[in-house]
Amino acid sequence: MKVLARVALFTIIVVGLVAAPLWEPVAAQERVLKVAGVGAMSGVIRGFGINSKAVFDMVVDEINKAGGVRLADGTRAKIVGTFLDERCNAEEGISVVRKLASEDWLVLIGPTCSNVAEPLFGILQRKVGDAGDSGLQFPIFTDTAIKPGLAKISEWAFRNVPHEPTMYNHLFKWLKEKHPNLKTVYGGVETDFAHSNSNWFTSMKNAATAAGFEVLGEEKWLLNDTEFSTQVGKWRRAKPDIIAISSHPFTTCGVLREMKRQGVKPKVMAGLTSTATLETMAGCGPEAEGLIIPTGFAPVTPEAKRVADIVAKQYKGNVDLHSAAVYENMYVLKKVIETSGVEAKPTTLAQDRKRIRDGLAKVTEFDGLLGKIKRLDDRESVKPYVFAVAKNSDWAVLFDPR
Amino acid sequence: MTDLAIDVVQQLLNGFLFGSSYALIGIGFTMIFGVMDKLNLAFAVTGLAGAYTGLLLFHLTRGPFILVFLMAVAAAGLIGLVIELACFRWMPRDYPLAPLMATMGMLFFVDEVVSHATHGRPMAFPAPMGQVMMDVGPWLVRGDLGFMFLVSLAVMGALWALVYKTRLGLATRAVSQQPVAAQLCGIGLTRVNAAVFIITGMVGGVAGTLIGSAVGNLSPLLSLPLTVKGLVTAVLGGLGSIPGAIVAGLLLGIVEYEALYFFGIGYRDMVTYLLLFAFLVFRPGGLFGQRVGR
Repeated sequence: MKVLARVALFTIIVVGLVAAPLWEPVAAQERVLKVAGVGAMSGVIRGFGINSKAVFDMVVDEINKAGGVRLADGTRAKIVGTFLDERCNAEEGISVVRKLASEDWLVLIGPTCSNVAEPLFGILQRKVGDAGDSGLQFPIFTDTAIKPGLAKISEWAFRNVPHEPTMYNHLFKWLKEKHPNLKTVYGGVETDFAHSNSNWFTSMKNAATAAGFEVLGEEKWLLNDTEFSTQVGKWRRAKPDIIAISSHPFTTCGVLREMKRQGVKPKVMAGLTSTATLETMAGCGPEAEGLIIPTGFAPVTPEAKRVADIVAKQYKGNVDLHSAAVYENMYVLKKVIETSGVEAKPTTLAQDRKRIRDGLAKVTEFDGLLGKIKRLDDRESVKPYVFAVAKNSDWAVLFDPR
Repeated sequence: MTDLAIDVVQQLLNGFLFGSSYALIGIGFTMIFGVMDKLNLAFAVTGLAGAYTGLLLFHLTRGPFILVFLMAVAAAGLIGLVIELACFRWMPRDYPLAPLMATMGMLFFVDEVVSHATHGRPMAFPAPMGQVMMDVGPWLVRGDLGFMFLVSLAVMGALWALVYKTRLGLATRAVSQQPVAAQLCGIGLTRVNAAVFIITGMVGGVAGTLIGSAVGNLSPLLSLPLTVKGLVTAVLGGLGSIPGAIVAGLLLGIVEYEALYFFGIGYRDMVTYLLLFAFLVFRPGGLFGQRVGR
């Protein structure tokens, strides 16, 4: 009996000794990195959120299948994701993010709309380490909200969106070189949407003037408008060489239809970055023929094609200039987490958020789907881009400056 | 003729023709109010939902426009009946706000259903007359808007015949004037209300299809502005008056287009609501409605 007891005790000790080294990694395997996404999943801008979520789900699965993310102690953690709805509404966006920040989410990707991002960044701590500022200390890495200059609102805000002033400066300069005989530009702007309004007045108009075009003026309309005969009638009379339309797909389509109806045929049409999507093609592909738009995404690299294919086939979404950034952001976050000492323990939540923020702030360049993306001091990106043109109810690459 | 004069007349023409879309929506609001003395805020979205159903049929069959039109009208009539059941018949009678709030809820519910089904994306809608443009001297007249104007006149004529030349119309007028006495005479209140909702739903389907065709796209973005403009039209015309809705819709279109031309987009809606405010203060019964005491 004594022998039996000794054998049993020995076995337990041996098993314990063998299992002990295994025990810690098993426990560590259960550690997770909680990354949240926020986008417009309902309402009329829902299409943008759906695409961002599809890419978010795809990239989370891809990283997890490849073994997850390495933590400070060398163990690997899987990413646990969630994607919540902000409805393109500032109050709802703020409410959702406050809730996520009060829980154990490490970092946020999103939101979709600039009118959500702007007030949302406003509730973050403005300057890191300011003890007198009780704003949220929660890193946000935006994929879609594109209104220029928003990240400077808070040092916790980062964006990876196309840099519109750069793209439009290049576009109008390129147009001048290609068509030196073109002299005049007339604008059209959807004034009640933060992005389209600011894009015309801060990017397109200035870029056209800087390139040597005469800007004849701009016609204005609203996001919900359905009839544009007055505005297009003024273009018809002015006969500009270029018409530059800074509006989203719904009104862009209405304007293009009215131009066709009234026989307004400028030599070149330029559009808003956010309109270089399949939405425009579904709404008015034939009328959009020839519309040129600078965009931060096109399936022109093997990696971009691969991601676009997987997202379309397995996740029922589209990779476009906005949703592509989700893929890029997640891989940057992975790298930052692996190099900045993130522990992903319940007790280190605040430190981990700060580590991610500081890590993101140090990034000066990273790989995007179209090539290298440069980071600016104001936590914005300068992304590679191409000039897309609407051709046969699809988008084609007109010029690739990379 | 100076450019200014040409433009002012062009705006007048455009506003007059586009106003027929407001008139069609206004007719629905005003007819339900005339019979039930209640507002159905989900009326415009009923028409749009009908148009979306027609569009679905188009995507499934690639059938002709007339098929899309008929499907939209039938579907909108059915949705109208559902709204009558859900937002009026099943609501408590001693709580007058309940139907109003229920139709508001239905407006956003249907809107959200459409947003989910289409991902909020604008959908190209068949527009057989979309590019028809007529030159009238120095002015341009849109064929589709002209057609919409003629249809709104036809709808008004058909509704007039229905209300004044049929037994259903007689019953509807009786219910609208004295619901209790109408019931004592053997008129089924429930049946008449249901018929009114089906008919106005069908008018909404006509409006939704023609507006979709004129815009060239359907989008959930359309429902709220059409609801607001339809309500303004009904109030300007006099709640309960079908000819009032037609005249007010055309007037509203003209005012909007001239305001857009002279003051710009930032002031267009301001002028519209100032007009509404002026009517409510100085002529609260609208153009053709009953005199309202203060």
